[in-house]
Amino acid sequence: MRHRMMGAALAAVAALSFMAADADAQMRPPGGMGNQIVDVPEKPGYVPSADEEQLDPAFRRQPVYFRTNEPPGTIIVHTNERFLYLVQGDNRALRYGIGVGRDGFQWAGLQKVTRKAEWPDWTPPPEMIQRQPYLPRFMAGGPGNPMGAAALYLGSTVYRIHGTNMPNTIGMAISSGCFRLVNADVQDLYNRVPVGTKVIIRQAPEL
Amino acid sequence: MNRIATALAAAGVLLTAGFAHADTLSDVKARGTLKCGVSQGLAGFSAKDDKGAWSGFDVDFCRAVAAAVFDDPSKVEYVPLSAEARFPALQKGEIDVLSRNSTWTLQREAELKLLFAGISYYDGQGFMVPAGKNVMGALELGGSKVCTQSGTTSALNAQDYFKQNKMELELIQLPTVDEVVKAYADGKCDVLTTDVSQLYALRLKLPKPADHIVLPDVISKEPLGPVVRQGDDAWLNIVKWSLYALLNAEELGISTASLDQALKSDKPDVKRFVGTDGAYGEQLGLTKDWAVRIVKNVGNYGEVFERNIGSQSSLGIPRGINQLWSAGGIQYAPPIR
Repeated sequence: MRHRMMGAALAAVAALSFMAADADAQMRPPGGMGNQIVDVPEKPGYVPSADEEQLDPAFRRQPVYFRTNEPPGTIIVHTNERFLYLVQGDNRALRYGIGVGRDGFQWAGLQKVTRKAEWPDWTPPPEMIQRQPYLPRFMAGGPGNPMGAAALYLGSTVYRIHGTNMPNTIGMAISSGCFRLVNADVQDLYNRVPVGTKVIIRQAPEL
Repeated sequence: MNRIATALAAAGVLLTAGFAHADTLSDVKARGTLKCGVSQGLAGFSAKDDKGAWSGFDVDFCRAVAAAVFDDPSKVEYVPLSAEARFPALQKGEIDVLSRNSTWTLQREAELKLLFAGISYYDGQGFMVPAGKNVMGALELGGSKVCTQSGTTSALNAQDYFKQNKMELELIQLPTVDEVVKAYADGKCDVLTTDVSQLYALRLKLPKPADHIVLPDVISKEPLGPVVRQGDDAWLNIVKWSLYALLNAEELGISTASLDQALKSDKPDVKRFVGTDGAYGEQLGLTKDWAVRIVKNVGNYGEVFERNIGSQSSLGIPRGINQLWSAGGIQYAPPIR
């Protein structure tokens, strides 16, 4: 675990050094399967256009074949693939494109949705303030808030599935947050899952 | 007794002569290139660019075998083949391996004397619908107008499927693929059906591809994979385990990005894969680092999939049924040990 964190940190520093100039350009993960974290600063207050909210077809919400023993209603996150699956039963799931933040790679296993909130407030954690000192200490929920349209809180952890005001980070491994969806998708997910929903996070195998 | 022995020896010579090319690996090495049969052009699977460079999911399999043998994925001579020409070309020894979206069937092994090395892509018939209809599965399609190409197995399969599930069907059969796409785009039918891989290719021809989805249901079996001639089991093993190396790499978490870390790993299955433990490559007639060569030059199965036909390609095919068995699909490779 420590190795992976160090690797991620190094990768972020490396990425920062030559990617800072176009950090908010349209970016897709170069490898897709890698967990090299790209340092994309948060842009509190930024409200994306309707055009930006339109994902590439591959990352749009869609029903897919998905074989699992988990019961319908379970959320399964594959961080490596950048997809979140909502199990539907009968070998299918609703699949959502996600962006995975540094924290999203730190933990694997089983959790439960303990709380749901629409347009949640945002209090950036100290580590994030350290990386991006210009960030506000608190921001009320609403459009332009990096937490987006909804959040599902996972267990008693700081981990959550939330929306975003930066739709172009879907499909990426990014510096901040846990699991982010575009606002339309997180709203859709919020409406489909109750508090108590089982959430399984699957990471790439450790070497 | 002596005479019989002589006769047997002679027969042995004849037999060897008959299978003059039964040591494909030596031939490939002597030639310095792998002759790989591919399709003449199929988006995402095999296509040649302006500069004559081949790429695609099937092409990457040729590159994987070349990487295993030569540690150089460019040592491939691509032989573009029509559907009619592909199996004769393999039978006659004009190619070493066929990697051309070919369906594994009994007849192709028993009658044509070929062998499929495995299944690189589980294809099958599916359905495309407008995303706005909020349909989740094929069982919700009762009463639909379904467009398909006339005279194909797709038409028959659709009729069978709807009948079996007691659903009303209005099947609109049109002579060409282009007419089918146009009828669907014009709203003359609610559903378009053909093989899933083709549905994603046809989706790109629609005015707004993202407004259409392919349903998760697959109603027929079209297992695609690489093919070799019978009579050279050692070569079959190399082709087969090249495919399994791609799959095992993904399952073990070994990718182009993590390969250096994998080489230092203490995990037994990773050590066997990268050749820091055992002599599995040598058993295949290759080198200790045969599987490392594949990942280094081509990537793992997931990387090959996403790059050519998945989320990083214009086709955007979900892994779906082609996901690893451990992650929601049915792709499964025997272990290296």
